Amino acid sequence: MTLEKKIVRKGMRIEDILNSNIWDVDYEPHITVDYNKCRNCKLKPCLRLCPAECYTLVGDQILFSYEGCVECGTCRVVCPEDAVKWNFPLDGRGIHFRFS
Amino acid sequence: MEKYDAIIIGAGPAGSSAAYTLAKSGFKVLVVERGRVPGSKNMFGGRVYVAPLRKIFDDFDKSAPIHRWVKKEKISLIYGDEMVSIEYEDIDTTSFTTYLTELAGWMAKQAESAGATIITEVRVDNLIMEDGWVKGIMAGSDKVYSDVVIDAEGINRLVLENAGIVPKLAPNNVALGVKEVIKLSKEDVDKLFGLEEGTGLAWILMGDITNGVPGGAFIYTNRDSVSLGLVILLSEGIKKIDEHISRYVEALRLHPLLNKYFKDGRIMEYSAHLIPENIKNLMPSKLVYNGLLIAGDAAGLLLNLGYTYRGVDFASYSGYLAAKAYEKAHEIGDYSESGLSTYNDLLKNSFIMKNLNKFSNVHEMMLNKRIFEVYPSIMTETARKIFNVEYESPKISEALKEARRDKVGLFTMLLDLYRLYRRL
Repeated sequence: MTLEKKIVRKGMRIEDILNSNIWDVDYEPHITVDYNKCRNCKLKPCLRLCPAECYTLVGDQILFSYEGCVECGTCRVVCPEDAVKWNFPLDGRGIHFRFS
Repeated sequence: MEKYDAIIIGAGPAGSSAAYTLAKSGFKVLVVERGRVPGSKNMFGGRVYVAPLRKIFDDFDKSAPIHRWVKKEKISLIYGDEMVSIEYEDIDTTSFTTYLTELAGWMAKQAESAGATIITEVRVDNLIMEDGWVKGIMAGSDKVYSDVVIDAEGINRLVLENAGIVPKLAPNNVALGVKEVIKLSKEDVDKLFGLEEGTGLAWILMGDITNGVPGGAFIYTNRDSVSLGLVILLSEGIKKIDEHISRYVEALRLHPLLNKYFKDGRIMEYSAHLIPENIKNLMPSKLVYNGLLIAGDAAGLLLNLGYTYRGVDFASYSGYLAAKAYEKAHEIGDYSESGLSTYNDLLKNSFIMKNLNKFSNVHEMMLNKRIFEVYPSIMTETARKIFNVEYESPKISEALKEARRDKVGLFTMLLDLYRLYRRL
């Protein structure tokens, strides 16, 4: 779907909303998640609170993908298990805001 | 090895204001920015108060990227498909809308024109610490030295955490802001929001839109777009946000009372940022160390009153004051904590700390759930009873009494009102 056609009259998937953003994705993930710790986590607030939905559930396991990260820092703050090793991307990579 | 008078971490509003002020006074300044260009990692709600910026930057109005001057303020309580609003209009104005990406880029340009060196695409990892002194910064294995470091790294203050100056951010000390910027034509923005050319609207909404989580929504009109977003207190959000946070923003965009503003637009950008809350807990125990000053979001200097947010002007002005404190320390040749301590006095006597102290109890009030659900529902129901009349018009007191019944006791309501009055 082209940008121009994305009229916001009806509900949009988060993927389509995120499509308007620009990233220069880092080769290495700037955030890593210790999935072992996620197993003990009942609440899993990352699933709902990461604004870019970088955290998803596959079966009953957390899967994290860093590519769409908007670098807000929420996951690190809300993680009850301290499972998120968080940093900013290197060398100017990552999200590139233009209209925010 | 090259040594700087001051190194500034981050080319955001605080960092670039400090850099501009120092460079203008002839100091050798290095700003280290992690983004590809200054501004590309910045995000905010949408409105900036202008007075502090006019004081910092020469000829601010002449070239700053101002989208619209805010001449209309609106606060709405929203519950279900009903809304009660207060609107304020003025021909004078003290704030404007813009993209922070543009404004921060502009500030960095001013700093550069004044003689500051700005290096981008470099992430600062650590401070160089020697015998209790901050001597410079480290990026990977690269080291750069300076008399003073001004830390303006923003709310995710990893450098300060690594240095052991602040603990890890806690969920009760920050709010999460999520925003869609929606493209419209300039004419449509004027028409839809009833604005004259070049004038703008700042609109805050509170009610069941945050699912009982302390926070609210905002709408700001930009030149040819609208910023629509949501702010929630993270500690409560963890417990009560029950579907993906982007769905809450979408629920606003598709809300029966709001969709008319956005239905012909398209999303230009989607962004998120953490916002300082609970300032008393968030502020580092000290903002001055031997060879180090802390400014902006990293210092926790932001005012959130629920009906207004002041981040950019507070950050910029704290950067400006940090620069002034550096100048003073330079005069006496003492960059120790005591030599730089003018920063504390300057902050204390400025509008920044005066405001933060004055409103220091507001945060506790935000934890009162009734403000975000019960009272909006009472207000909308009262308004409905008064305005949606078929035969018999009720007295306002009757309508209010009926709307309040089963929701909150009269005594509790009066007590809440009194608390609100005392704190705001």
